[in-house]
Amino acid sequence: MSITCLKGGRVIDPVNGVNNIQDVYFQKETIITKPRNIDTELITTIDVRGKIIFPGLVDLRFHLKNITGGQTENILSGTQAAAAGGYSSVLLMPDISPKPDNPGTIQFIQDRIIKHACVKVLLCGNLTKDGKGEQLAPLGSLQETGVIAITDCPKTSQNNQIFSKGVEYASMFGLLVLDLPRDMSLSGNGSAHDGPLALKMGLGGYPRIAEELYVQRAISIAQSIDTKIHLTSISSKGSVELIKSAKDKGIKISADVTANHLYFNENCITGFNPNFKMSPPIREEIDRVSLINALLEGTIDCVSTAHNPFQEHEKNVEYDLSPAGVVGFETTLSSCYQTLKEHKKFCWTKLIKAMSSNPSKILEIDTGSLSIGTPADVAVFDPNIEWEYEARNSFSQATNSPFEKHLFQGKIIQTFVNGKIAFDLK
Amino acid sequence: MDISNWTRKCLLGIEELSPSEITQILELSKLFKKEIEGDNSKKNYLRGKRIVNLFMEPSTRTRIAFEVAAKSLHADVISVAEQSSSLTKGETLRDTAMNIQALGADAIVLRHSSPGASLFLSKIVDVPIINAGDGAHEHPSQALLDLYTLQDRLGSVAGKKITILGDILFSRVARSNFWALSKMGAEVTLAGPSTLVPKQFESMGARVSHNLKDALQDADAVMLLRIQHERQSSSHFPSLAEYTKIFGLNKDRKHWLKKDALILHPGPVNRGVELDSELTDSPQSVILDQVSNGIAVRMAILYLCTLQGASSL
Repeated sequence: MSITCLKGGRVIDPVNGVNNIQDVYFQKETIITKPRNIDTELITTIDVRGKIIFPGLVDLRFHLKNITGGQTENILSGTQAAAAGGYSSVLLMPDISPKPDNPGTIQFIQDRIIKHACVKVLLCGNLTKDGKGEQLAPLGSLQETGVIAITDCPKTSQNNQIFSKGVEYASMFGLLVLDLPRDMSLSGNGSAHDGPLALKMGLGGYPRIAEELYVQRAISIAQSIDTKIHLTSISSKGSVELIKSAKDKGIKISADVTANHLYFNENCITGFNPNFKMSPPIREEIDRVSLINALLEGTIDCVSTAHNPFQEHEKNVEYDLSPAGVVGFETTLSSCYQTLKEHKKFCWTKLIKAMSSNPSKILEIDTGSLSIGTPADVAVFDPNIEWEYEARNSFSQATNSPFEKHLFQGKIIQTFVNGKIAFDLK
Repeated sequence: MDISNWTRKCLLGIEELSPSEITQILELSKLFKKEIEGDNSKKNYLRGKRIVNLFMEPSTRTRIAFEVAAKSLHADVISVAEQSSSLTKGETLRDTAMNIQALGADAIVLRHSSPGASLFLSKIVDVPIINAGDGAHEHPSQALLDLYTLQDRLGSVAGKKITILGDILFSRVARSNFWALSKMGAEVTLAGPSTLVPKQFESMGARVSHNLKDALQDADAVMLLRIQHERQSSSHFPSLAEYTKIFGLNKDRKHWLKKDALILHPGPVNRGVELDSELTDSPQSVILDQVSNGIAVRMAILYLCTLQGASSL
């Protein structure tokens, strides 16, 4: 009967309205109330005074190139990076090899996860066959095999009929559809925000409207079918306004933003550094400010990592030839804290809501709170640690981070998944 | 002349240059031009230096001009084109360049379709990189020879009105020329269809015009850019015929120009599309001057970057 007590920390548990100093107890894999009449020697006490304790973080956008890893990130290194960033659950995008568009492959992927993952890896299946946007994948069968959401992220079907029928068909199974809104005819292979800087640098532009038209597409479809759609990696002020107006009308739209879009503005690409190339691109300061406000006001529900590892030789090439995507597990919480802590509307409850409670609610999973009886997924954050991110010292095997050599204040020091230690800074 | 304060190893773009650096290159170009036109005795400033022309995109004028310039300075020149290199076997630009460096190159002249490719290479290899065009980003040697040609005819360009007309959006020539001209005090108008000349260029400090007459009437010089046929398919304009009808510079519109306005074009010219034959060959046209000035300007660039101002003329 081993019981763990995290003692004396400041507990942030938005679902239960907790934001104060108290102890958190868990036994085996479950959160429990403070045990009474028990020999204190049976309790393993961890002193977390001065630390911040919250439910393990939940990520809605985790990419992995190959389920077996190959020479780049594998399930083990990817989930170790997640645990080091405070994540206890991550949603795996379907742009992996082999493609999770049939039950057999999903079973294979699940076997790999059981063997190697150190956090909970949740599966997202393809909406369309092979992710090509042309023919629906067997969504019902995918769900039976354990898929909890579907998407073609980082692409989306450019065929409105396929997309709309896919959403309608998915709603029959109660499957959440995630969508990265992008009109390819407008974005093309654009590698930078279509603004004055890209124009000056001679880079192909990925305009705001390429996103906003498809945000509106998702809103209209969610409204007409009366079902949920989650928009991932929102990047423009116009998208924020569309989402706010849809939510005001009661349309079942939710959205996330990446930590990169909260931290950087388009000037980050001035040196043609491919580690700032992502999809959607980082936009202007006006967009960044709007995204921050939208997150703190609740128009944007979550922060995602869009963790997307590439090998050094794949990523570190000419900017426009470099694939879009950066790693993010180990920097997302620290960079969000750094971005938001001085903001007058910031409070820890909002941040944990956006990084744990809300994504759990959107995925309808039993995490995201420290409620009694729920899984003991818990993260411990030390706000006083100053540290520098260096890819070579990170758990991720990939080096494509925009935060290389960045100084942060505050770091995850422990992550528990189902009551077991998944990361310990010591 | 004293060039000892030239400190750049690479010439990656005009945006990063100061007006005095631009002047320095052009003053040196003048000396080389005199040498070329004079006793024709070639100077061996770069004897024993190995210049590699790494051209990953088709080029006639620029590649040949750099070759002639390097040979005029007695450098050894090796020209590598994409089709004849291991890049067709899947070798990356990084590996190709590192190999070229290992084989003893003293400078690499790079033409590449990716914006920022020269900067990328300059961070990988130690030898000087000279940007001979990187995507739609910059084409510094072209802008310098255009500026040289304009100064040769107009004296200073300060206060002069220069119009750049055509496919600005996809043009490295337009961007580098904008920087060069505006840094030297000219008023630059970028003109053409709104799809090829977005209003956002105003944020760089340019005037933008979508009306040909308005763009031409006060100009001291007009610089035309080649209209690229492939842009028709990407819906930037309906057809070459329509472009010619609305933005082509022809003899009927010649009177919109000031009588002594100069006509420039970086080549190759689509005769009858952006520019009529009659105007291409008219006395106002300085198109062939641009080509010959290109040799002297590139000699200056090679000299400065390869020797980094270590010696002086």
